[in-house]
Amino acid sequence: MADKAIPLEINDLHKRFGDNPVLKGLSLKAHKGDVITLIGASGSGKSTFLRCMNLLELPDAGEIIVHGDPILFKQTRQGREPANWKQVELIRSRLSMVFQNFNLWAHMTLLQNVVEAPIHVLGISKEEARERGMALLGRVGLAERANYYPAQLSGGQQQRGAIARALAMEPEVMLFDEPTSALDPELVGDVLRVMRELADEGRTMVVVTHEMDFARDVSSQVMYLHQGLVEEAGPPSEVLLNPQSPRLKQFLAPNR
Amino acid sequence: MIDLHGYGPRLFEGALLTFEVAVLSVILALLLGLVTATAKLSRSRLLHAFATLYTTVIRGVPDLVLMLLLFYGGQIGINAFTDWLYDAFGIDIFININAFVAGTITIGIIFGAYMAETFRGAFLAVDEGQLEAARAYGMNSWKIFKRVHFPQMMRHALPGLGNNWMVLLKTTALVSIIGLADMVKIADEATKAEHAPFLFMLPVAVGYLAIASVSELFFKWLTKRYNVGFGET
Repeated sequence: MADKAIPLEINDLHKRFGDNPVLKGLSLKAHKGDVITLIGASGSGKSTFLRCMNLLELPDAGEIIVHGDPILFKQTRQGREPANWKQVELIRSRLSMVFQNFNLWAHMTLLQNVVEAPIHVLGISKEEARERGMALLGRVGLAERANYYPAQLSGGQQQRGAIARALAMEPEVMLFDEPTSALDPELVGDVLRVMRELADEGRTMVVVTHEMDFARDVSSQVMYLHQGLVEEAGPPSEVLLNPQSPRLKQFLAPNR
Repeated sequence: MIDLHGYGPRLFEGALLTFEVAVLSVILALLLGLVTATAKLSRSRLLHAFATLYTTVIRGVPDLVLMLLLFYGGQIGINAFTDWLYDAFGIDIFININAFVAGTITIGIIFGAYMAETFRGAFLAVDEGQLEAARAYGMNSWKIFKRVHFPQMMRHALPGLGNNWMVLLKTTALVSIIGLADMVKIADEATKAEHAPFLFMLPVAVGYLAIASVSELFFKWLTKRYNVGFGET
């Protein structure tokens, strides 16, 4: 039965692109405060899995349950579609996503980016949203950049801004899609530091990443995906420090 | 001082009419263009087919022919409709197509097809990640359009829209053939009466040029506004 205490639960998710099955039955359960890291080679389906969680990709089969609230689907001639887009929009507003390419809205200043969805989706007053937005920008070290446009900021600043935008939604779960992969190496540290702080304060997070140090130090659970299936999952002390499958051993080898 | 043989005030009125027809028809063209571009980009095959039919027909037929077709053909169609109303329901009305309305609507419909192509390309030019972020934050399709897709699309559309506007402005001269007293029509009458083509056509040319120059400034301002954040103002 659906459990209200579990922020995000996914059961037996399937997704295919044309004839190519990319997810072949993936499940996940994120309890409050969990940090679940998805690792795997490119093409393993980890990003697609993450993008199915907020329905940026529509899964062909499987359940997505947010705080006991299962997303409703209906069958159409084109395949399975959400039965109620309003429900999807509501659920999306509770799972904020941080993208690999930041995707801050280019025509808005940093502060406008942060207050946009709280005002126009959650219906929070402009004053309150601004006040909270400024506080969040302060947290990620960008208070003095509030009125800059994304194009005027470095990649690391943009990504920290994007994290502030995600936090402004007061999300139940934060989804990170390779948040440091597009950054110059010297800018990765600042972004990871902010993410560690979020994990420490008990945020529920699902993170697709190639940063093995982050996965090892911060996650409560690591899932290693291979060709659309979970090959190994468990606490990082097991999965990363004592891998069982030869494939995972090989995947981790360069990091050892 | 140039002596316009007393035609000065009428030419000025004609210029105002030209401007009115141009502004009203560009508003119609922009709306039609937006709707058609949206239809072309929609997943619905039916909408796509209608939109394609519209842009193909309009862009393939000369403006002059369309103007005459819609003015005379439209009257015949409306007469047939009102006759049918009378026969079927005993409702007796007579609708006369007014040249101003017909001219404005025709130009709006013609340029709606060109605007549609401009908008379509501009919508497609917006980075998919920008829309994805809007979806991921729970915006519904109208909010995505209003808050992200439209403002970012305009940056790409403006050069094309400006171009279309300039051509539209000059196309308004066609309304003179369905009897509307725009500045070309009045200058033509004056020329025939006074046998002095340059005297009357030169002010007309200057009139168009003046409207075009002012709109150039307006488009510069718009371009600056929609380029905010993209660092190429």
